[in-house]
Amino acid sequence: MKKHPVSLTVNTDTYDLLIEPRKTLLATLRDTIGLTGTKEGCSTGDCGACTVIVDGKAVTSCMMLGVSANDKEITTIEGLASRDQLHPIQQAFMDKGGYQCGFCTPGFIVASKAFLDENPNATEAEIRHALGNNICRCTGYTKIIEAVMSAAEVMRNS
Amino acid sequence: MSEYTVLGKSVPRVDALEKVTGAAQYGGDVHLPGMLHGKFIRSKHAHAKILNIDTSEAEKLPGVRAIITQDDVESGRRVFATDKVLYLGEPIAAVAATDPDVAEEAADLVKIEYEVLPAVQDVMEAIQPEAPHLHSDDTKDGPARRVLRTELRKLERDDSQDHSARIAELNAQMEELADEVYYNVSAETHSDAGDVEQGFAESDLVVEDTYVIPRVHQTYMEPHVSVADVESTGKVTVWASTQGPFAIRSGIAGTLGIPLNQINVIATTMGGGFGGRFGVALTHVPAVLLSQKTGRPVKIQMTREEEFTDGRPAPGCVIKLKTGVKNDGTILAREGLAFWDSGSVSGASIGSTIRLRGVYKFPHLKVDAYGVYTNKSGTAAYRAPGTPQVAFAGESQLDDIARKLNLDPVEFRLKNMRVEGDPVPAGPNEPKVGYKETLQAVADAVDWKNRTKGPNQGWGVAIGDWTNGCGPGGMFVSIHEDGSARIFHGSMDITGTDTALAQIVAEILTLPYDEVTISRGDTNSAPYATGSGGSVVTFTMGNTAKLAAEDTRRRLLELAAERLNTDVESLELKDGQVSTIVADPPKSIGFGELAAYSLSTTGGPIVGKGSFARKPSTPALAAQIAKVEIDPETGRIKVLKMASSQDVGFAINPMAVEGQIEGGTVQGYAWATMEEMQYDEGGNVNPGFVDYRVPTTADLPTVQSVIVEVEAPDGPFGAKGVGEPPITPTLATMANAVADAVDIRITELPMKPEKVVDALHGNGK
Amino acid sequence: MRNFEFFEPETIEEASDLLTKYNGTAELLAGGTDLIIEMKARTAMPEHVISLEKIPGLTGIDYDEESGLRIGALTKMRTLENDPIIRERYTALAEGAGEVGGVQIRHLATIGGNISHGSPAADTAAPLLALGAQVKITSADGERTVPIETFFVGPGQTVLKTGEIVTAFECPARSANQGSQYIKQKIREVMDLAFVGVAASATADNGAVSDVKIGLSAVAPTPLRATDAEAIVNGNSLTTELLQQAAAAASAQSSPISDLRCSAEHRREMVGVLTRRTLQAAVDRAQG
Ligand SMILES: Cc1cc2nc3c(=O)[nH]c(=O)nc-3n(C[C@H](O)[C@H](O)[C@H](O)COP(=O)(O)OP(=O)(O)OC[C@H]3O[C@@H](n4cnc5c(N)ncnc54)[C@H](O)[C@@H]3O)c2cc1C
Ligand code: FES
Ligand code: FES
Repeated sequence: MKKHPVSLTVNTDTYDLLIEPRKTLLATLRDTIGLTGTKEGCSTGDCGACTVIVDGKAVTSCMMLGVSANDKEITTIEGLASRDQLHPIQQAFMDKGGYQCGFCTPGFIVASKAFLDENPNATEAEIRHALGNNICRCTGYTKIIEAVMSAAEVMRNS
Repeated sequence: MSEYTVLGKSVPRVDALEKVTGAAQYGGDVHLPGMLHGKFIRSKHAHAKILNIDTSEAEKLPGVRAIITQDDVESGRRVFATDKVLYLGEPIAAVAATDPDVAEEAADLVKIEYEVLPAVQDVMEAIQPEAPHLHSDDTKDGPARRVLRTELRKLERDDSQDHSARIAELNAQMEELADEVYYNVSAETHSDAGDVEQGFAESDLVVEDTYVIPRVHQTYMEPHVSVADVESTGKVTVWASTQGPFAIRSGIAGTLGIPLNQINVIATTMGGGFGGRFGVALTHVPAVLLSQKTGRPVKIQMTREEEFTDGRPAPGCVIKLKTGVKNDGTILAREGLAFWDSGSVSGASIGSTIRLRGVYKFPHLKVDAYGVYTNKSGTAAYRAPGTPQVAFAGESQLDDIARKLNLDPVEFRLKNMRVEGDPVPAGPNEPKVGYKETLQAVADAVDWKNRTKGPNQGWGVAIGDWTNGCGPGGMFVSIHEDGSARIFHGSMDITGTDTALAQIVAEILTLPYDEVTISRGDTNSAPYATGSGGSVVTFTMGNTAKLAAEDTRRRLLELAAERLNTDVESLELKDGQVSTIVADPPKSIGFGELAAYSLSTTGGPIVGKGSFARKPSTPALAAQIAKVEIDPETGRIKVLKMASSQDVGFAINPMAVEGQIEGGTVQGYAWATMEEMQYDEGGNVNPGFVDYRVPTTADLPTVQSVIVEVEAPDGPFGAKGVGEPPITPTLATMANAVADAVDIRITELPMKPEKVVDALHGNGK
Repeated sequence: MRNFEFFEPETIEEASDLLTKYNGTAELLAGGTDLIIEMKARTAMPEHVISLEKIPGLTGIDYDEESGLRIGALTKMRTLENDPIIRERYTALAEGAGEVGGVQIRHLATIGGNISHGSPAADTAAPLLALGAQVKITSADGERTVPIETFFVGPGQTVLKTGEIVTAFECPARSANQGSQYIKQKIREVMDLAFVGVAASATADNGAVSDVKIGLSAVAPTPLRATDAEAIVNGNSLTTELLQQAAAAASAQSSPISDLRCSAEHRREMVGVLTRRTLQAAVDRAQG
C-alpha cells in the first residue's frame, strides 16, 4: 500500500516523513519521530493521554491519522517547556502534586494549556468540564484542578 | 509543630521534572533496534473446546516472524490455552511481526475452530449442580453442612461408643441441606468466634440482607506492556512496567525454567497498578517466548480492550450478611457468607472476608467465604483487595441499623469501635489504633453535628479498615565527594514512595532534601525489594532507608572522629556536616570532605546499608462522609461534598498522602456509582471506556482530605501504609448517603440511575 | 488497522467519483472519530479512505434572517457549541454538540459525520429534528435536499446512496420568541453516550405554544420526532397536565431496546421525563 509523504511541524521542528495512511498521529509521533511523551491509554479517544495541540486545538492524537496532520503545526508535551523554564502549568503540576504515576500527566497538561490559552479566566466548573476528555486514575483530580487553577492565575498575571 | 526539618513537609516529588515534561520512560516508550511487535490470538468464546488452530495463512503474511502456541512452551507450564478456553479473550497463540499493524493483521488470519460449550458467569448459578463445571465435578459443603460434617467426622473416628443413631441423624440433615452442596468452588475460608446463634438470640434487632458488588477493573492508565530481549547466549532482559520486578524475575524463571541469574528485569516507570500489575502471565512471559523464538527484541503492549477481557481485575461478590444489636446500639453478633467470583482461576481477595467484623467490639462472629469459578479472566488485587466489597456490606447494614434504632450513625459507630487492647473477634487483641480519632476527625471536618440538607439531599458516613503489608527490602546510601547522598534500591515508586525515602534519608543525615538523589536499579544490580503493593513500600522501604541512613551516619561519624581527632560520642550530624556537640572551639567537617577522605582510608567509601524484612504492621482506618443530591426522576446522583479522613500514622509527605486519599476515594465513588464489568454468556460486553465508565474531572467536587496521625509503633517515624485504605469505605459511604437522601437502600452496585429510579419506584415514589 | 489507500480530493465531484468507483470498499473521512474507531476494531475495513478536508466550502456557519441557518457538514462540534448564533437561536443544537464526547473529540468530530454515521444515539440528531433541519446531499449527479426526519433508515443506515455526500444542514430562521433545549440522560457528566436524548423546540405565541417539535435519540432504531406529543401541545398553553400528556405520548411513541446500558423500560420512562423538561425549558426560553 502506498505510503504518503507528510510534513509535520512538531514543536519547533519540521519532519518530512513517508508514512502508511493507517498510522495515527499518535503512532507517528511516538514510533516514527520518537517523541514518546505523548501516551496511549486507550486508542479510542476516551482517555486523553494522547492529547496534542494541532493548529491551536487540543485533539486526541489516537483519533487522527498521521496523513491528516500533514502541513499542520503540532505541539506535544515536549514542546511546552523552554530550555530553562517550565511552562506555568508544568510548574503548577509539580508544586501542587497534580500527578502520581504520571501517565495521564502529559495529556492533562497539554489539554489544560490549549484550554487556558483560549479561556484564561475559566472558572473551576469550566475547567472541570473542559478536562473531562482526560482520565486520571491516580489522583482523584483534586490536585490536578488545584494545579490548573493556580497555573491559570500565574498565566493571567504574566 | 513537627520536630523535623524535611519529614512532614510537602516537598515536590523526586520524579516531578521528568513526569511533567514527558521525559519519564514508561514500558511502552522502550524502543530497541530491530524490535518486533507481539499480538495475541485470543478466544472468541467464554467457554469452548479448541478443535483446531491453523496458523498457515498468518505465517504467509510478509513481516510475520513467529507464531507460537502452547507447543512452543518447553517447560510445559500453561501459557496459552490448548484444548479448552475458559473465558473470552483467553490467549491461544501469539504472533511477532515487524510492525504492530502487521501483527494484528496476522492475528486476524489465524483460524481457530471451536466447539462452543455452555458458560456460566453468575456465582450463584455457578455453585449449582446444573452449571457447567469448569475444572472438576468436586463439591464443597456450605456453612451448615460443614458444621454437620465436622461432627460426623468426629463421630465416625470415635470407636469408643456406638454413634450410629446420631450419624444417621446427621446424614439425614445433610441430605436436607442439598442446596448447600456447592460446585465450582475454587477456595474457601472460615472463621468464627463466640456463638452467633446465641448472639442473635440475645439481640433486640437482627438485620439481614444480601449485597452484590460487581467486578471492577483497576484501570491503571497504562495498559500492560513489556519488551523482552533474549540474547543468543540465552540471557533474558525484560523491560517491564510492573509493581514487582523481583516477582517478575522469579515468575519468568519459574514459568519458563530459565535460571534466575540469567534474567534481568528492568522496571520502567509505571502508569499505575493498584494491585493489578504483579503477574507475569499477561505480557512478560509471552514476550520472552517470542523473543526466544525470533532472536529479536519483542514488545507486547496490550490494548485497553485486552485489558478488560484479559486483565486481572478485582472480583465481584455476593455477600449474605446478618447483624444483631441491642436496642441501645451495642453490636452483639455478625454472620456473613460470601461468594467471590474468582473467574477461571483461583483468585485473590477471599481472605478479606474476615473484615466483615469491621473495627467493632462484639463477641459473636461467623464468616464463611467461597471462591467460585466462572467463565471470566482470573482476578488480582485492587487497592485493599476484597475490603471495599465487604465494607460495603458491613457498613451499609450498620447504617440500616442506626436508622432503625434512630441512632446517629457516627455516634453508633464510635460507641462500638475497638480501642487499644480490645479483643478482636477471631483475631489477636487490638494494638495501638486510631479508629475513633479518624471517624471523629472526618465528622468534625464537615461539622457533622450541624449538618443541614435540602430536598433529595442526604449525608452518608462509612469507614473501612486495612492493615498495610510488610516485606523484605535492601538499600544502599552512599555519600559523594560533593557532600550529597544517593539512595540506591530496587523498589518501584508509583505513589511518591521514592520521595518519602529521600525525605527520610535527608532527615537522618541532616541534609537538605534536594541533596539526596535516588536511583532504582534493575534486578541484576539492586538488592531485593518487595513488590509495591499492599501499602508496603513506605513501611518496608522506609524502615530500610532508616537503617541505611543510620549506617551511613555511623560511618560518617567514624570518619569524622578520625579527622577531628576526637571520639564518635562527642560528634553529631548537623546541617550536612559532622560537628562537635560541646567542644570549644567548635569543630566541624563537611560530608564532601569526609567522602573524599574516605577514598584513602582502610574502610573505604561511605556506603550505608539497610536491610529489613518484617515488623508488626499496624491497622489503619479510613472514614468518609459524603453529601449527595439525587434527581428522583432521572436517578442521577450528584456529590455535593466528599470528605475523607485516614489514620496514616505519620505523614512523611502530606501532599503525597492527600493524593492517596483523594485518589482512593474517587475510585471508591466510581465503584459505587458507575463502574461494573458486565458479562453475558459470551463474555465481557463492555471492554472499553464507553461502557466501562470511570469518573472524569466533571463528576466530583474537590475531595477534602483529613490526615489523622496516630503513630505506628514499628513504622518509620510512626508512618503506616497509606495507599489502600481510602478506597475501602466509599462504596458504603455513597450508598448510605443515597439512603439518607431518598430513603432507599441499594444493596447491589453500581447505583446507576436506572437502579436508583427503580428503587424509588419500589418505595412508591 | 488494515491498510488502505488514502485520497484527499479537492472537489465534491472528485470525492463522489471516488466513492462510486470504489463502491463498497470506500469510506468518507471527516473528523474520523467514528470511522477510526471502527477501523481499529476492524468492524470497518475500507480499502479506500476519502478525506473531505481539502474540499472547500464544507465548513462554516452562516445565518441570515431570511434564508435561515446553514451549517457546513464538516463543521466541528466545538465550533457549533461556541457559536453565538447557534447558542442564542438554536440552543438545543449548541447543547447537543456540546454533549459529544469531550473537548478534544469535539475539536475533531463533525456534524456531518455525526449524522451520516446514522447512530440512533447521535447527540446532534434530536436537536436537528427539533429545529426542522434539512440535509443537503450532493453527488456527481447533482444535489438533493432531504428533511432530517427521513434521513435515517435504521441503525447505522441512512438514505445516502453510492457517491452521495452530505454537504450541509439548513434550518429555518428563528426569532427571539422561539426556544429550544436538549437534555441527555447519562451517568457521567461528560464523555457519556446518550442513554436517551431529547430535544424540544417551541414558539411562544401569545400565551399559547406553537410550532412544537420534539426530537428523540437512542430510543428507537433511528432518531425520530415525537409527533404525537407535539400535536398534544401545539396551539395550547402549557400546563402541568398537558406536559404530562405530552410526556406520556412521547414515551409511547418511542420503541427502545434493552441493552447493556439500561432497560427499555428505563429509556421509555426517561423519554417522558426529558420530554417534559425540555418542553418546559424550550417554552421558558421562548418567553425569554
Ligand atoms: C471518545 C468518543 C466519544 C464520543 N462521544 C459521542 C457522544 O457523546 N455523542 C455522539 O453523538 N457521538 C459521540 N462520538 C461519536 C463521534 O464523535 C461523532 O459521531 C462524530 O460527530 C462523528 O463525526 P466525524 O466527523 O468524526 O465522523 P467520521 O468518523 O469521519 O465519519 C463517520 C461516518 O460518517 C461518514 N461521513 C462523514 N462525513 C460525511 C459526509 N459529509 N457525508 C457522508 N458521509 C459522511 C463517514 O464515511 C463515516 O462512515 C464519540 C466518539 C468518540 C471517539
Ligand atoms: S489514547 Fe487517545 S484518547 Fe486514550
Ligand atoms: S497520575 Fe496516574 S493516571 Fe493520572
